[in-house]
Amino acid sequence: MTRYFVPRYLVSVMSIAILSAATVVADAQNPPYTVQDGTKVDQKTLDGWKTWRALACERCHGAEQEGLVGPSLVESLKTMSKEDFHTTVINGRPEKGMPPWGGSDMMVKNWEGLYDYLKGRSDGAIKPGHLYPISQ
Amino acid sequence: MKMNYVRPVLGGMAMSSALCLSGIAAATDTETAMDNPSDWASQAGDYANHRYSTLDQINASNVKGLQVAWTMSTGVLRGHEGSPLVIGNTMYIHTPFPNNVYAINLADQTYKWKYEPKQDAQVVPVMCCDTVNRGLAFGDGKIFLQQADTTLVALDAATGKVVWTAKNGDSKIGETNTNAPHVFKDVVLTGISGGEFGVHGRMNAYDIKTGKRLWTGYSTGPDDQLLVDPKKTMTWTNGKMEPIGKDSSLKTWKGDQWKLGGGTTWGWYAYDPKLNLVYYGSGNPGTWNPSQRPGDNKWSMTIWARDLNTGMAKWVYQMTPHDEWDFDGVNEMVLADIPVEGKETPVLMHLDRNGFGYTMNRVTGELLVAEKFDPNVNWATKVDMKTGRPVVNAKYSPGTTGPDVDVKDICPAALGSKDEQPSSFDPKTKLMYVPTNHVCMTYEPFQIEYTAGQPYVGATLTMYPTPNSHGGMGNFIAWDPAVGKIVWSKPEKFSVWSGALTTAGDVAFYGTLEGYLKAVSLKDGSELWKFKTPSGIIGNVFTYVYNGKQYVGVYSGIGGWAGIGMAAGLSEGHEGLGAVGGYKDLAKYTTLGGSLFVFALPDGSGGVTKTASNVQE
Repeated sequence: MTRYFVPRYLVSVMSIAILSAATVVADAQNPPYTVQDGTKVDQKTLDGWKTWRALACERCHGAEQEGLVGPSLVESLKTMSKEDFHTTVINGRPEKGMPPWGGSDMMVKNWEGLYDYLKGRSDGAIKPGHLYPISQ
Repeated sequence: MKMNYVRPVLGGMAMSSALCLSGIAAATDTETAMDNPSDWASQAGDYANHRYSTLDQINASNVKGLQVAWTMSTGVLRGHEGSPLVIGNTMYIHTPFPNNVYAINLADQTYKWKYEPKQDAQVVPVMCCDTVNRGLAFGDGKIFLQQADTTLVALDAATGKVVWTAKNGDSKIGETNTNAPHVFKDVVLTGISGGEFGVHGRMNAYDIKTGKRLWTGYSTGPDDQLLVDPKKTMTWTNGKMEPIGKDSSLKTWKGDQWKLGGGTTWGWYAYDPKLNLVYYGSGNPGTWNPSQRPGDNKWSMTIWARDLNTGMAKWVYQMTPHDEWDFDGVNEMVLADIPVEGKETPVLMHLDRNGFGYTMNRVTGELLVAEKFDPNVNWATKVDMKTGRPVVNAKYSPGTTGPDVDVKDICPAALGSKDEQPSSFDPKTKLMYVPTNHVCMTYEPFQIEYTAGQPYVGATLTMYPTPNSHGGMGNFIAWDPAVGKIVWSKPEKFSVWSGALTTAGDVAFYGTLEGYLKAVSLKDGSELWKFKTPSGIIGNVFTYVYNGKQYVGVYSGIGGWAGIGMAAGLSEGHEGLGAVGGYKDLAKYTTLGGSLFVFALPDGSGGVTKTASNVQE
């Protein structure tokens, strides 16, 4: 996972993720999230989903990320790089109606988890709707 | 043409004149134009929000012959709410963001002038998810545009040149505008949107000549900001009107949460010139997570009666204390004098998002009628007529079940048994003709922190057609406001999100999300005519006369809350969890558009015969 994508500013966040989600780190083939039964996920992905929910992303991208006024993220995440994702959520695409979320502490803190969550939705591994921690 | 115009002598006309004109002060140019049925001089056609025309050239027996007279592209896609204005030989049309305004010469449908504002695109994300604008206002020789970025603009009606502008809010903290400005006498009233961004809702009044702010009346907060008199501002209490008392709003909020209190004001206002009172509703309280904001959250979800010149509130009535469902109280306020329990009564009629149709005494604020206008409404069993409070069903109360619990099958959904789509009142039948939603929801609130300029919602919703009903998501109904009963109900596949029009020709018009403009009988709602426009209709139907001929028009251009699913990405194969799950079938019928359609009877078909409402051909 970190082999092909290690921006320097992510290292600290990444190392925490590596420590806390041991099953995920193996190699680039593995997904960045851990999921059980489609609804139980690792803490980082859970925080990503909570960010999705709190910032009301579904108002534009749909409750199932299927797209409304904003594009389908199920589709976008199939091709979008993590770097492009980061740039887009932090700087926005104001001309298209995507807000810049750089001013949101929650987004700045959890954008990677959000990426992981959306990747899981795009892969079909994570189900739409409410998510729970794996421990439950 | 106007010189030769002979007004029809009809009971309805007399009534609307009485409501339009005080008869003492000289009529303003707005009032003169509103009083001339050839014009469509305000969004509702009059101060009383009747959306009724005395024109009868097009009527129940000949409406089946209605044809397209002309069309025009607005040049903008996305949701087209509101309607054009017609004053004399000019039509004024408006668009969703970027809020262009075009003056059209009705003689040859050429542009007289265009106003194309430059607005910061940053406002669009804060408007998420549609960039609607509910139309223009006319008065003092000016056309008023309330831009999305909150700038209120006065344009010279003859030239389109900017006469003055006023800054009405701050989009950086989530304040935007979608409402139409309203001209009452020499005052321009405009509200604010942003109930999902924790804004501090209020009504603003501006001097029509200069754009100077006259007063601001907030929906929540200390008495001086509310513009209330604790001893004189009244509300329905234990079966009678009593003063609201000191700190009536502050006492119903935890700490200073009232500052993020919402109570936005983006609906349709009414004015009674005799009483000099303005009526409007305030919207949902800040955050959709009710557990986070204990208390009644006054005066969100409230009908307000304020003095036009001072803003001082004469009476208030909170319909949905401590909202748990996003039932904004902003829908149109409709004024008329009707018999209630055998006594002619000056009433205010209001069919709320929460599914109850209210009839109030508009002079005193007394609650007269509060009944469900959709039988499937279940969040409350009834309104207790003594306390005026809804009797909430705990099973459908997300505030009772608490955060992170998904409450199922609440009816109506957050977009209400009706939303902003305005009804029509026919002074002859004394009934309201109402475009409605028939949609239920699941509602899961969750804890949320406030950050300025970012969504302050705190709930996840899913919406779907009302279970165990006709399967559709809307109805067009006739409502008797004197007793609170549905007279007839015509099912529709989708929400009816278009403002209705009734005419002295005994026809009601409305548009559908599939794109049909329909004419129905006032008697039973039976369909007399329909025409498929290129896109879904969420605009309001209007009518006017030009050169002796009656026209009926409407915008075609889907969008708005119900129509946002029409944009990119909605594909088959997603289960009904989606927020617009029930609306995704719309993709079979229509796609985005932006055009004006104007209809008339063909020449020689009887449409231009001399009638009471038309003496010149």
